[in-house]
Amino acid sequence: MADANREKQNPTFYALMFALVFMSIGPVALMFINSFKLDVDIISGTSGLLFMPTIQNYETALCDVLPYEIDHLDYCSLKFGGAFINSLIIAIISTILTLIIGCMAAYALVRFRFMGRDTASLTTLLVRMVPPAVLLVPVFGLWNNEFCIDKATWVAEWLHDIMDSRRRRDICLAGTHSGIILVYVAMNLPFVIWILQSFIVQVPRSLEEAARVDGAGPFGVFFRIVLPLIKPGLAAAAIFTFRIAWNEYLLASALSDRDTKTVPILIVNNMSEFNVEWGVIMATGMLLAIPPIIFTLIASRQIITGMTAGAVKG
Amino acid sequence: MPTIHLDKLVKRYDAVKVLHGIELEMAEHEFTVLVGPSGCGKSTTLRMIAGLESVSDGEIYFDGKPVSHLEPKDRELAMVFQDYALYPHMNVARNMSFALRLQKRPRAEIDKKVKEVAATLGLSEYLHRKPAELSGGQRQRVAMGRALTRDAGTFLFDEPLSNLDAKLRGQMRAELALMSQRVQKNMIYVTHDQIEAMTLADRIVVMHSGVIQQQGRPEELFKKPVNKFVAGFLGTPPMNFLDATLEARGDEVFAVAEGFALRLEGEKTALSNSASNRGVTLGVRPSDIEYAPAAPADRALQLNVLVSEYVGAQSVLLCQSGSNKVTVEVKSETPLALGQTLTFAVDPNRIHLFDRKSEAAL
Repeated sequence: MADANREKQNPTFYALMFALVFMSIGPVALMFINSFKLDVDIISGTSGLLFMPTIQNYETALCDVLPYEIDHLDYCSLKFGGAFINSLIIAIISTILTLIIGCMAAYALVRFRFMGRDTASLTTLLVRMVPPAVLLVPVFGLWNNEFCIDKATWVAEWLHDIMDSRRRRDICLAGTHSGIILVYVAMNLPFVIWILQSFIVQVPRSLEEAARVDGAGPFGVFFRIVLPLIKPGLAAAAIFTFRIAWNEYLLASALSDRDTKTVPILIVNNMSEFNVEWGVIMATGMLLAIPPIIFTLIASRQIITGMTAGAVKG
Repeated sequence: MPTIHLDKLVKRYDAVKVLHGIELEMAEHEFTVLVGPSGCGKSTTLRMIAGLESVSDGEIYFDGKPVSHLEPKDRELAMVFQDYALYPHMNVARNMSFALRLQKRPRAEIDKKVKEVAATLGLSEYLHRKPAELSGGQRQRVAMGRALTRDAGTFLFDEPLSNLDAKLRGQMRAELALMSQRVQKNMIYVTHDQIEAMTLADRIVVMHSGVIQQQGRPEELFKKPVNKFVAGFLGTPPMNFLDATLEARGDEVFAVAEGFALRLEGEKTALSNSASNRGVTLGVRPSDIEYAPAAPADRALQLNVLVSEYVGAQSVLLCQSGSNKVTVEVKSETPLALGQTLTFAVDPNRIHLFDRKSEAAL
């Protein structure tokens, strides 16, 4: 059967497949190759595939974490290690928070009857329709001026003490990890609630009833029955939120400061008026791509096992 | 094992009343079957006992204590659902031990109990399988096992066999009967299948449109149905109903209609005084009609045989008498030909009479 089908395949089908593969792999391959070239090689453009591979770009990108002195660099201006950790903290914490709040909200919206349920359900999606650029200015204003702890209060004193900061000033959300995490959670929550709702609806009600008769309280039903069954949904939502939080540039650029910079911002900082360090940008880009790839692989395994396990009907 | 008492139980969904004051007393260790056509309120009643459905009015008592305010988990029940409701992410052993694990019982005790129940249900080999890897009958058994594993006082069954094929259903029905004898617990069983009801029940409760029509032992309901609904609902093939009028001829009373004049016997003769000339509905079970070419005229029914359904030892004949269709159950070897008008005899003691308007038994 398979052989018979294969013979009939149209050559245009292969051409189309090739085009699609080239379109998706091409840019990554280009980035990968260029990350091993010197800027001279990249810009000259004539040399094509003939070049001397070098790890200089990676050395520059990783200058603050490499244990040895780098010859070609006088000063390590690029703090990739720090930015990478910032990115990880922000992406992971915001993903976890979004999932926790999202699955509970979605469950409530699907299963409980309360006043304004339909409105709440609809509004979550409406919020999603607002582009982040619109949010940028008000969020920047609020985070810098409104959501602050006055330096005279004991909370601020205490925070200064534990952070060991030299300059006593008002502590604002802007420039903190929490500030960025908060925006990301708010931004991703509607979509996550929306995805998870469709998964929760599919959990047969009789399962929850059986658990209630077996002696589970509302939280028992949720954590022992519903949550394990919507694992594929949680994984899909996790991939989605993690990638958005990882890639986000606009809000992070406005809300982060020197110490909370994320990797995408670091990359853009390599472009100046006079010089674009293509090699370093490509190398940082490659490094930036690794965590989401690993994360997606892990999370997508959950989706597949979830699909094969399947809910039992009838 | 509590005695369960339903006191004027009412269920309303907004303005629609679906249960109209259910009054029911269930003794200890009794196997009670709620039976009725779909939408009669039997499942709602069961779910109210389980605590999955709120009580609009009236009260449920376990051993004299009101329970309608209690959560399902505080009612000491086990329930088997129509779709089994097995937790798909847990294997058979974990499904069965779920309730015990919630109670934080010691691990050894849980393992012992699960193994014990699995052995009696023939599930020992499947303890590590997920529900999706089991056949329908096995899933049914696991659902039953899950109920058995916890020492609940009362077992609730919500149409547990309706998803099985006919053969398996018969088999599981027998196992269920065996199990109920062995475990000696209260069983409340909901079904729309009157055969299940008849075979399993100590007490049958026939419901229709949110009202209990009749309750009692199976043979009581079968022999003395209180109204036309109960008479028609219990028994396969269902009872024949023929419109007739009562006529007194001398000392004797006859039920007369086109094609027959059947003489009534015993206490039914007294009916002619009150119900004379009033229309009645005559009810005869297909098994109470027999092929008898030499039957006397006062017991005879002339029937034109239209269709014969061979079902093994018995054949079910679909016949015509005047404008009425009549089914008759005869032994298969009875020599019959389709299209003939033949004489059948009715046992006068097995005739049921119902008021044509109120449909109550006379």
